[in-house]
Amino acid sequence: MMRVFLLFAVFAVLTSTAFAHHGWGSYDASKPLTVTGPIVTSKFENPHATITVQGGDKLWTVTLAPTSRMNTRGATEKVVAVGQNVAAYGYPSTAVKDEMRAERITVEGKTYEMR
Amino acid sequence: MTDAAPAVFVALEQSGFAAAIRQSPWLYPAANVGHIVSLTLFAGAVAVMDVRLLGGLAATAPARLLGRARAFAVVALLGMAVTGCVLFSAEASHLVLNPAFQLKVVVAAAGLINVAIYELWGRRVVERLAPGAAMPARAKIAGMLSLGIWVVVAACGRSIAYF
Repeated sequence: MMRVFLLFAVFAVLTSTAFAHHGWGSYDASKPLTVTGPIVTSKFENPHATITVQGGDKLWTVTLAPTSRMNTRGATEKVVAVGQNVAAYGYPSTAVKDEMRAERITVEGKTYEMR
Repeated sequence: MTDAAPAVFVALEQSGFAAAIRQSPWLYPAANVGHIVSLTLFAGAVAVMDVRLLGGLAATAPARLLGRARAFAVVALLGMAVTGCVLFSAEASHLVLNPAFQLKVVVAAAGLINVAIYELWGRRVVERLAPGAAMPARAKIAGMLSLGIWVVVAACGRSIAYF
């Protein structure tokens, strides 16, 4: 019986730590950067809205937030539409080249938090 | 979308069904919530069954307790399958290449095989037992495996976001 409870406790601990945190693991928070330029493509889709931004000679893929949060924060589909000029502050991916996850974006002088 | 994935998964992700999931403001989050709620129900029901198979809750009649818990586990498993298909379709080409997802599928399959083996070779013996009777080794092994396997499946599921 004791062994059964022990197993149950291990089960509970493992599953609770597994759910405790959502991932920013593959983004390097020690190298924040700002990508500035026109939006080339825009996908206002779940699980995360994504835009590509022509930042100088690089085409950046910028991962934003889930669409419901984007709308709540005012960063609607129109705000991140193709052709808009955006400044995205965030962290570069350690896994995918020229991809970054935005902490916040600024469009037409207005800043929207993505977290 | 990644072209590195097998064509069938690329096609699934590009389908109208998958696009509708991504473009709906509520469908993906709802499936996400439903998947976790189903998981908690499944984990609870399976834990009751596994504890009984390991010899705990010994005062209860195995057939009765396992029967009740099995009904919850089956409904919860169906809930996870349906919501899981929704979540998978939206990002099929990435998920199929994700090592945590691949491990999850393999380990979940092992879990279902464990269920099938128990249902074929353990269930009849176990459900004839009276309250308090000692569990046969095959029941204990099935219960132990189940407890371990489904924890790994849950951990793999959560880990998909980090790979």
